[in-house]
Amino acid sequence: MLTCKELVAHSSDYLDGQMTLRQRLAVRAHLAMCGNCRRFLRQMKLTQAVIRQMPDEELPELDALAERLAQARRHND
Amino acid sequence: MSDTDLLDRLLAGEQKAYRELVARYQGAMRAVAYAIVGSRNADEVVQDAWLAVVRSLSGFQGRSSLKTWLLTITANTAKTRLKHNRREVLLDDLAAPHGTVGDERFSDDGHWLLAPHAWHQDSPEALLTEDELRECLEHTLASLSELQASVLVLRERQGLELEAICNLLDISLSNARVLLHRARLKVFATLEHFEETGQC
Repeated sequence: MLTCKELVAHSSDYLDGQMTLRQRLAVRAHLAMCGNCRRFLRQMKLTQAVIRQMPDEELPELDALAERLAQARRHND
Repeated sequence: MSDTDLLDRLLAGEQKAYRELVARYQGAMRAVAYAIVGSRNADEVVQDAWLAVVRSLSGFQGRSSLKTWLLTITANTAKTRLKHNRREVLLDDLAAPHGTVGDERFSDDGHWLLAPHAWHQDSPEALLTEDELRECLEHTLASLSELQASVLVLRERQGLELEAICNLLDISLSNARVLLHRARLKVFATLEHFEETGQC
């Protein structure tokens, strides 16, 4: 039987689909009985979504770089 | 716009197309360079990679996606630069500002001692409206090792499969999994800390 500690240790593998069917079933069985781990996993998914949606770093040099690359391309031919 | 449409305009040397290309892919390219050569040389590697991209554009066959092709060129540019001094810090795990979800959270029999509390916000949009939390998260991301940060960015923000990340960065799947998991737990700990205390 999977413990909470083991579930946490393998939570990324679960989220990334890096588990065998047997391992997935063990996680699901644990989650069915454990509210704390269900909450943990929900919050891990929220953590992933937050990382995904953090604003991009600005690229101040974007136009200058684009101009340089376009020129380099035209000179390349 | 699809890769094919963009490619035609790139080949014609259209500046707006290059602007779009850079805006779309520079973040991912930087993450790859950052993982391989470190923060000090990453920007230079990305610049070199862009020039290599322009030089080889006519040869792009479309056998892989444009993104995969760009990231492979970036990884190769970075590796060429390293050549003799590949760093051996693969699993380097630095301390993060709010720690992680460590052993102290569990009893000897593996049950939660300090179980996660409910969070006030349950959507990423709501969480990210807090300026202080955003800064706090940036601080945590900056505390990760270069490789750990890059694996996290490539997986979560750029949506790359783990296998693709391993190929680009020359790391094993098990190393990638460890790096990613540790990075996620550190970000989790920051969110949890903020939700509990309202402070960074």
